[in-house]
Amino acid sequence: MLMTDALLSSVEQLFSLATLVSMMIGVMAGVVAAAIPGFTITMAIVLTLPVTFTMSPLQGVATMLAVYVGGGSGGLISAALLGIPGTPSAVATTFDAYPMARKGEPGRALALGIWASFFGALVSAVVLIVAAPPLAMIAVKLGPWEYFSLILFAVTVVASLVGKSVLKGLMMSLLGLFIATVGQDPMMGVPRFTFGIDVLAAGFPFLVVLIGIFAVSQLASEVENPSELQQGKALVSGSMQFRPFAVMREVLSRPVNLLRSSLLGVVIGAVPGAGGSIANLIAYDQAKRASKTPERFGTGIADGVVASESGNSATAGGGLIPMIALGIPGSAVDAVLMAALMVQGVSVGPRLIMDNADLVYGMFLAMFLAAGMVLVFCLISMRWFLRITEIPKSIIVPVVLVCCAVGALALNNRVTDLYLLIGVGLVGYLLAKLDYPLAPLVLGVILGPIAETNLRRALMADEDWTLFFTRPISAGLLVLAVLSVAFTVRRLLQQRAAARA
Amino acid sequence: MSKDAEMVSRPARETSSEHGKAVANVIFNAVLAALFVGLFVQAGDLPSSMWEPLGAGSFPRLILGALVIFNLAIVVQSMAALRVTDRSASAGARQWFLQRRLAFATLAAFAVYALLMPWIGFALASLLFLLAVQFILGARRGRRLLIAALVAVIFGLGLYMLFSHVFLISLPAGRLW
Repeated sequence: MLMTDALLSSVEQLFSLATLVSMMIGVMAGVVAAAIPGFTITMAIVLTLPVTFTMSPLQGVATMLAVYVGGGSGGLISAALLGIPGTPSAVATTFDAYPMARKGEPGRALALGIWASFFGALVSAVVLIVAAPPLAMIAVKLGPWEYFSLILFAVTVVASLVGKSVLKGLMMSLLGLFIATVGQDPMMGVPRFTFGIDVLAAGFPFLVVLIGIFAVSQLASEVENPSELQQGKALVSGSMQFRPFAVMREVLSRPVNLLRSSLLGVVIGAVPGAGGSIANLIAYDQAKRASKTPERFGTGIADGVVASESGNSATAGGGLIPMIALGIPGSAVDAVLMAALMVQGVSVGPRLIMDNADLVYGMFLAMFLAAGMVLVFCLISMRWFLRITEIPKSIIVPVVLVCCAVGALALNNRVTDLYLLIGVGLVGYLLAKLDYPLAPLVLGVILGPIAETNLRRALMADEDWTLFFTRPISAGLLVLAVLSVAFTVRRLLQQRAAARA
Repeated sequence: MSKDAEMVSRPARETSSEHGKAVANVIFNAVLAALFVGLFVQAGDLPSSMWEPLGAGSFPRLILGALVIFNLAIVVQSMAALRVTDRSASAGARQWFLQRRLAFATLAAFAVYALLMPWIGFALASLLFLLAVQFILGARRGRRLLIAALVAVIFGLGLYMLFSHVFLISLPAGRLW
């Protein structure tokens, strides 16, 4: 099929009424679902999958992309207004969007995030189309050695990123990695550290840890102060100013930050397994390091919101690169998308672009279309999302807790997961009160099984452990990991010295 | 993180707790270190594999070993902090818990909710939980109590309908009926 024919055919299929309507519903569902803590983008897409069976391949995959792109922005809403990341990809978004909302500018925080998400998705769609093959070639060259080193790098970056003590940060990362080992061993299926207790038999599902740490313990600290509650005080107060175009200019006036974060998101998204949650944190970290005023990060500044939100949205396009070019899903979401295509009888692999050009071009176009739909939907409904801030805590806390219970149950429908949820929530609450950063723990739990699998696979392929240090990319990543800790220790020591002087 | 924002927004309420925190850190990390040493020993019994150089136990032991080192480092650091902080300015543990009684009450209600759910089902348990927590958090009488009851009914049943019928997530129906 000629390229123009394929393009025209995909336009014709995509701009049919049925596809546009199902994409619009997908966008709304994605935004709302991701805004609910514990309801991840992955879960929303998994729930969308059965609905797409009756659709044509392009309509089905376009609808799922719409949920995906919508979810990328939806996580922002609860991150900004509640300080709870609606999805794992919005962890770094809470660092600046929430303080900004608390300082009385919730409208600005949301609009900044929405525009940053839009431009991030746009940039990623462009990169996906232009640079898919070479980027995928790099990603696919990573062996288990590089992959293990990449995870170590990600963990150390996060540990040094948050909190005031590197020691505590690294301890929490390791604790997360350890928690992930409870349950079945990923390669042999041997039960570990379960002590014959039923609740522990399946290990700690990462979603339960995430909801417990970021939702339950966060909600607990929200209701600490009795006097605040008696007044029925909302989580966020302040003016609900609504100036989308002024904010658009504000976002576009940071082209370097926007482009760097988006491109980082694309590259991280293209690495299998490393998705929005890592891109979100690393884009934020890089923006902080490049900034002339890094100490203002975390106080509610625009740069932090722009970096974190454009970074996580850009992984959508990045994750599609290895999936389309090589049939390797870039993330759990891409794996579900791939499954959807396979159900439709489309074989996914290197020949996909050649055999189903109209489908692939349709997916490219659907990315742009979905980004536009999310922008319009979010900007229109933003006033309505802001109403959340007017609800008193005494109502929002129990309702969100019930949603957390649903989130934990939706995973496996096990009531024992609820007990784990409460345990994790209580421990998380106490840890936060003792100044332990919680984000490294969650990242450790998510990355633990991947780290272990790759470490063991590397040593299975070759028993020589020095390969981690002699393979150039792996060695480079390890050096970066050490440097990120060293720089943070130096920065903290300087701060301490300055504080003493 | 949001924790920093909290400290900015309510600095006055935070009693000086550096000393208490240092004590808690020493105890917490010492307990963890002991636990992890135990788990490290126990992980030695995990089977190795004939197909790979690392068995089921190696990765956990690597992590546990590193954890113990970090725990001990934090203990040392906190001991040093103990010497420089002022004991008299610190609030007692009892007062610390009392100040946060609403947070602990909410978590306790959540625990009761989870324990009741398999028996009375998601919908009724949610309804009761929503009512109870709103009551705990201040909806004691009059209009606020009425709103709380409405919220409990609408969200308790509404969320159940939404998730079980629209999103098709199976939720506990209750064993008693």
